[in-house]
Amino acid sequence: MTDNVTPYVGSAAGNRGYMRRFLNLEPINLLWALLFLVLIVLVVGPIGFLIKVSFQEGGNGSFTLDNYLEAYGRWRYLQALINSCLLGACTALLCVIFAVPMAWAVSRTNMPAKWFAWASVLGAFILPPYLTSIGWILIAGPNSGWLNEGWRWLTGAETPLFNIYSFFGIVLMIALNAFPFIFLFTKAGLDMISTEMEEAAAILGSPTWYTSLKITLPLVWPSILGGIIIVFLESIALFGVPAILGIPARINLVTTQLFQFFGYPFKMEVAAAYAMPLLLITISLIWVQRLLLNRKGFVTQTGKGGERRELDIGKWKWVLLAWCGFVGALAMYLPGYTMVVASFSEAWGKGMSASNLTLANYYDVLFVSRLTQEAIVNSFYFAGVAACGALTIALCVAYVVTRKLVPFANVLAFLCMAPFVIPGIVLAIGFYAAYAPPPLGLYGTSAIIIVAFIARFLPISYGTAAAGMRSINPEMEEAVRVLGGGRLTAIRYVVAPLLKKTLFAGFLLVFIPATRELSAAIFLVGPSSRVMSVLIFDMTEEGRFEAVAAIGCIILVTTTFFVWLGFKLVGRDFMMRTNH
Amino acid sequence: MHYTRLAAAVLGAFVATGASAQTSTDELYEKAKAEGEVTWYVAQFTTSIAEDIGQDFTNAYPGVNVNVIRATGQVVYSRLAQDLRNGVAQADVFSGSDQTHLISLKEEGNLLQFSPENGPKLRKPYLDFEPDGYWYTTSANPTVMAYNTDLVTAEEAPTNWTGLVDPKWKGKVAMSHPGFSGSTGSWAVLMRRLYGDEFFEQLEANDPLIGRSLSDPPNTLVAGERAIGIGTLATVTRLKNAGNPIEIIYPEDGAKLTLSGTAIPANAPHPNAAQLFVNYLLSERASDLMVTYGLQPMRPEVAPPPGAKAIDEINLASPTQDELINGVQPVIELWRRVFGA
Repeated sequence: MTDNVTPYVGSAAGNRGYMRRFLNLEPINLLWALLFLVLIVLVVGPIGFLIKVSFQEGGNGSFTLDNYLEAYGRWRYLQALINSCLLGACTALLCVIFAVPMAWAVSRTNMPAKWFAWASVLGAFILPPYLTSIGWILIAGPNSGWLNEGWRWLTGAETPLFNIYSFFGIVLMIALNAFPFIFLFTKAGLDMISTEMEEAAAILGSPTWYTSLKITLPLVWPSILGGIIIVFLESIALFGVPAILGIPARINLVTTQLFQFFGYPFKMEVAAAYAMPLLLITISLIWVQRLLLNRKGFVTQTGKGGERRELDIGKWKWVLLAWCGFVGALAMYLPGYTMVVASFSEAWGKGMSASNLTLANYYDVLFVSRLTQEAIVNSFYFAGVAACGALTIALCVAYVVTRKLVPFANVLAFLCMAPFVIPGIVLAIGFYAAYAPPPLGLYGTSAIIIVAFIARFLPISYGTAAAGMRSINPEMEEAVRVLGGGRLTAIRYVVAPLLKKTLFAGFLLVFIPATRELSAAIFLVGPSSRVMSVLIFDMTEEGRFEAVAAIGCIILVTTTFFVWLGFKLVGRDFMMRTNH
Repeated sequence: MHYTRLAAAVLGAFVATGASAQTSTDELYEKAKAEGEVTWYVAQFTTSIAEDIGQDFTNAYPGVNVNVIRATGQVVYSRLAQDLRNGVAQADVFSGSDQTHLISLKEEGNLLQFSPENGPKLRKPYLDFEPDGYWYTTSANPTVMAYNTDLVTAEEAPTNWTGLVDPKWKGKVAMSHPGFSGSTGSWAVLMRRLYGDEFFEQLEANDPLIGRSLSDPPNTLVAGERAIGIGTLATVTRLKNAGNPIEIIYPEDGAKLTLSGTAIPANAPHPNAAQLFVNYLLSERASDLMVTYGLQPMRPEVAPPPGAKAIDEINLASPTQDELINGVQPVIELWRRVFGA
């Protein structure tokens, strides 16, 4: 249909077609060029420079391989790589243990109060991992955490029950934040299979647990594996938890090692070389994941055609419900509650009592300290601008791509999705290498952070925008054009109003994570462009957990508000429609 | 890179000749008001103290605001080094906690030579830290030990640094990381001289909790997370005076004292406000304020803080400048090798 109206498509046009294209330049062609340029700046530039500086000598810029020799020439640095991979694997395993029973319970069984599981998942999304860690330091500090104090008091033991400053502590913190990925993937997989096979097994006398293990689980295995890959990648690219827990525990990870290269003596070139495995692992695993999820090998996974019946699992439903609550408590309620209490305390070590109650932390953070005031304003300002920017670019590209207005539009789509395979911290190093030094000299400015945020969250925006655009039939715009309106009129009066919901969802989906982003910000902030996440990280080094908790609670409250707003205006599932 | 440094050096020389003729404070204030602000890279004081000092400066000199950029010694220097490398001028005043940074900045021609009115009015031991006028002593904060009085009695408490590596404190020691904290770096240089590389191996075996800043361990002690640890005299004194269960240990083998200077980068965007601010840091008013935080006063007119010994009563041990220049980076490397991170 489109092809009949738009003269710009149709490959048969040949040479004369190209000529005509140049003569009748519609604004849309300029837009294409502009978008292409913008995406070069956002995506190609940083990665190009990242690779380039990794082969350059610091200072004079001549070609060298020394950066690679230095980055991989010490056992400690290699150890960090191994530690990170191990961390990713353990975290993924723990996430499976957390999330697969939950997903199975919600999708297949007659477990009551399924919203309970959803609440846990949502809670994990709301609390960023570095805040979960801070809450847990107060819970499970080896000597002072109330969990360990209680344990000692109960048992008279010398050793703590659980030391948060440990490898397992880091694994647990990341898993508590990342298990929703596996939950969503597994649930999506389970929702696609009909129950007929399970019923067949039941008729043949197989007990429920045996059927679930031997029939259901293998069917959703590709989905679980897809989730595992995402969790693995999230874990190895995370900065906050390794820095807050790993440095005191003396566990070196790739991201904290990168941070060290960005310290003194400053070795950005070595950092670039050292970031390569992170980039390569991510690209190849995402590729594997796509293969897994696109494989249509199972005839059973053919949409929702089959009959689905909830399994009656008897008393076990209560066990599963308790499990959902337990995971939620670990992920959200316990650390959240502890943080709220600490934020109202004079000294977190003193415990809860009237004499320890104070509003001073909030007063300091909100009204006295210029640092925190600035950081709060910056966080929302950067996130807002980045969300609008990413959305604008994504919408333009989605429009051009779905309406097939120009040739090679898919290149734009590809560039929009490319940051998905670039870990945030690697992207930040790329931005630093490309735009911090002269001639652009964006070092330490707000601009470099905003632009990096746009690039980081562009795939999310594009996913939302493209989905929204596909849902609008082009016939409506064509009607406008038949009646003599230009394309811009069609966009203004037809497309934009129809996309309102998409626009809003797209904004929030970037805005919320951008207000708390740490990995992409840590190398890019300057004196006047600090954000809350970085400030929290800086403040943990002075052990001022009460003030940190107060800022944490501000993040918590605002995030909850925006998520609520999203539910209200966009729909219940807007956070869960991850396009991973 | 070389070009930038050269330019900075030339610029510095120009500004220096301009400023070396002592400008009166009033004149400086007028020019500073036109500049409106001063950006302070600081490691010597904790965030809240630095902000309070900045606020007090603005109260004293309305119209000149202070942007506080606080980080640990190594981190704040790395930031300044990145600024210089990128040819960006952001820092007006640099208060690091590792002397060697000041020395290399001076040698590379990146510092402004200046002579604030209050420069010659400091206490005696702080006067001749830098005879050429590239920086002035703004902090003399000894590194001491401390213990939590709820968990440890005065008799049990260790009396010198080797207590940190005594196996009886295994799992109960709070430390900070020389790779981040400047003062911890010079402390580690001293420990290496006194007790050799084995000291770090024994310390590692004691499983300490390692913060990034030297302000972290005392807070860890107050929270009851660890029983003994290191810290700056000022932080421990302040926490103690606020009624927290913490007591100072003056190690018999000598508290570590390294003076910390404040300098002005040659490319400071607000050089007049910067000079006014450094002059304020050296004033009686600033010393009065610092004492309330347990810090040592820079001025002889101001009495040392209560609850702590005065500097001249403390048995001190200090690494020399040469030891620091040649020792800090290697000891950080040693630390990372021994501790694995």
